[in-house]
Amino acid sequence: MDLGDDIAISRARRGDRDAFRVLVERHARAVFRLAYRMTNSETDAEDIVQETFLRAWKQIAKFDGRASFPTWLHRICANCSLDLIRARKRKQELHQPFEDEASDPFSQIPAGSPSPERLAQSSQISAILIPALDSLSEMERTAFVMRHYEGMGIEEISEALGVQPGAAKHSVFRAVQKLRRALEPAMSASR
Amino acid sequence: MSEISVNHTGSGHLSDDDLVLLYYKEPGVPGAVREHVLECPQCAASAERLARTLNACDEWVPPEPEADFGRSIWAQIAPQMADRRRPRFSGWFKVAVAFAATAALLIVAFVAGRATRGPAPSITAGLSRQARERILAISLADHLDRVEMLLTEVSNADDTDVSQFQDNRLRAQDLVDEGRLMRQTLARSGESATLSLLDEVERFMLEVANAPEQMTPEDVRELRGRIGSGSLLFKVRIIESNLRTEGQRS
Repeated sequence: MDLGDDIAISRARRGDRDAFRVLVERHARAVFRLAYRMTNSETDAEDIVQETFLRAWKQIAKFDGRASFPTWLHRICANCSLDLIRARKRKQELHQPFEDEASDPFSQIPAGSPSPERLAQSSQISAILIPALDSLSEMERTAFVMRHYEGMGIEEISEALGVQPGAAKHSVFRAVQKLRRALEPAMSASR
Repeated sequence: MSEISVNHTGSGHLSDDDLVLLYYKEPGVPGAVREHVLECPQCAASAERLARTLNACDEWVPPEPEADFGRSIWAQIAPQMADRRRPRFSGWFKVAVAFAATAALLIVAFVAGRATRGPAPSITAGLSRQARERILAISLADHLDRVEMLLTEVSNADDTDVSQFQDNRLRAQDLVDEGRLMRQTLARSGESATLSLLDEVERFMLEVANAPEQMTPEDVRELRGRIGSGSLLFKVRIIESNLRTEGQRS
């Protein structure tokens, strides 16, 4: 079926599964890229893509076309990614006291240190960039990923995140500032 | 479209934020700013440094999914979509509720053990007071986080498609059960502000859980109004945030 997005969306809103299938097949890869950059995990990203489209199917009647369909999907994907990241963090926090008390021999290794495998597989920049991205707040990371990697403008990011443009803009600024602090020393040392 | 303001530093040079907007070619950046970068060696050097760093971020490339990725995602979600009008919880929501309920049970068991001066359950025997307080604070914050998610969804519920409310009813019932365990624990420790919030949350969740099968748009609007009139969502966010801070500090 070769439907344009507008027609597919309109049919999907009326419950047409085949039309929704067209949207899934067309946009899944873009959603995957965003999810991967939010989580840095292929498996998590695939789970998030599924959850994103399930939520999109459930909510498509509410899609009013004010934002573009990809922006709307990105918003859902960002929320799914944040839900997963928060659930992970909570689980880690909850487990921490038990590990502290058990004198875990690995507890002295700083959190977020890249493993030897990861260092070997990644370029030097990625090995610094990924922990630096992990250290950003949720809003900063989401805004930066949308701005830098997805090419979304400040207005689109603010629509996707449901915040004022000023808040989206300042999240991008703060993210860039933090990433520069992490990356620039390594970049000047390697020159 | 809101105007993108560009701020110069007092020195007459562009700020880092200006350069970020320029780098990303955000609309609304005045032409004079571009001209300044071309004419000012100091700003040109700053712009080049910024561009080098941001360009380096492009070296992180996500893996490319298989060519039939979209079809494979469809194959996985299609069976679940058939259940659209039946309750469906996302995988990690179910895990999170089960996890929190287990944690709550442990805490209740521990507090109950202390209150009756009997031997503490072995699973908590090795924990310090700080660790127990931390578990309690984080479990409560997690519970309130799930409450907040549901309140937000009810607040944004589409009153023209009330069929989707069944999912909310079942989640509310789960939260009532989980909240009761939390209240039981708190009642023993005498934490009155959080206890009173949990009471208020439970009353609301019971209304959602017992909402009629055939919700009318009026019913949905009334529930939404109740969230707003009691500032329930606001209170949940504040106490959740306090508990989260407390859990990290202790």
